[in-house]
Amino acid sequence: MPLALSSAAAPGQPLAALDRACRGRGLDGVELVIDAPADLDAQVAAVHASGARVLALRVATLAVADAPALAAASARLGVPASIPPDAIALAALPALADVFARAGGRLLLGQRTHVGEMAALAGAIGVSGDLASLGIAWELRPTTERLDDAGAIIFAAGERLGLVRLHGGGPEQRAQDGRGLGPLLADLALSRYAGPIVLCPSAPAQLPRWDAWLTAEGVTACGNGQDPHRLDVDVRDVEPRDRLATILGAYHALGPGATLHLTVDHDPSCMRYTLEATEPAGSFEFRTVLHGPEVWRAEVTRR
Amino acid sequence: MAPIDLDIRIVPPREKHPTIFRTFDALAPGEAFTLINDHDPFPLRHQFEATRAGTFSWTYVENGPAVWRVRIEKSN
Repeated sequence: MPLALSSAAAPGQPLAALDRACRGRGLDGVELVIDAPADLDAQVAAVHASGARVLALRVATLAVADAPALAAASARLGVPASIPPDAIALAALPALADVFARAGGRLLLGQRTHVGEMAALAGAIGVSGDLASLGIAWELRPTTERLDDAGAIIFAAGERLGLVRLHGGGPEQRAQDGRGLGPLLADLALSRYAGPIVLCPSAPAQLPRWDAWLTAEGVTACGNGQDPHRLDVDVRDVEPRDRLATILGAYHALGPGATLHLTVDHDPSCMRYTLEATEPAGSFEFRTVLHGPEVWRAEVTRR
Repeated sequence: MAPIDLDIRIVPPREKHPTIFRTFDALAPGEAFTLINDHDPFPLRHQFEATRAGTFSWTYVENGPAVWRVRIEKSN
């Protein structure tokens, strides 16, 4: 299940720079948003020349006349091309399916998070073409959509699900907390979904945060070190990948008798288990003093 | 059959561990999933040891520096 970044997250960036940013973040590739379907041949050539890993194509609109060029680009790159929900009339589906099947490309139709609509679209695809040439791109917006029916949606889409576009991941992730994205992604994994998940900005106003996220360096500094008996560390704004190092660094900076006051946005039990497993028995005392549901506080005193 | 891949990088912070345990608990004995993360998830292993001792195996498939993959199998 590859994780990709939409080029919409970094408009105007050359493909090679985007690919570098992806590698820095451990992402598997790029969804290339195509603004001008007219010069698709040149864009495919540019992808090949750059060596960038492109995992999907995206166009905002698709006129039937432009479909053969998009289908050819999809085939040449060996990746699907997606379009937004309602970008085409369903009556055009059989003709589009034929174009993509002839070219050897794959068209993915956008669908928002709605179980009835997902089932209807899956049905329409079922009568219009084969799974190799048609599929579904799920446009997932956890901050504005209800995710309660996720299991039914995944079931309804079935093998037609070729792409999941996650709007508002990456640097916007904290806004998605508590909305049900975790159970949804567990269900998606358990359904053995193997297609790409594409991280997309939720709105143009978020682009500065994506820019900072894509160019961020590694581990951040820990604690403040002012009072030798007290260290306050709030990791809510620390990236998940840097939290452990931040917390352990702060713990090891404690002198005997000093207390680490930790503020986190998840149950800190994992931290207690880690200290129990890695530190000598009786060398610390761990108290959870605030138990969520949005903020947890723990105090760790080193003996 | 495609493997079960759970990319925990895109799960919001406080849903991460509940999502991992939800996935693990849904496995049949002998089944496995691959956990994908942007740091070494060893604190999670301690939590597994503390709450599900003897029911799982933990194998690193990829060990950084940008991505970690751990195969977590439910014991028979």
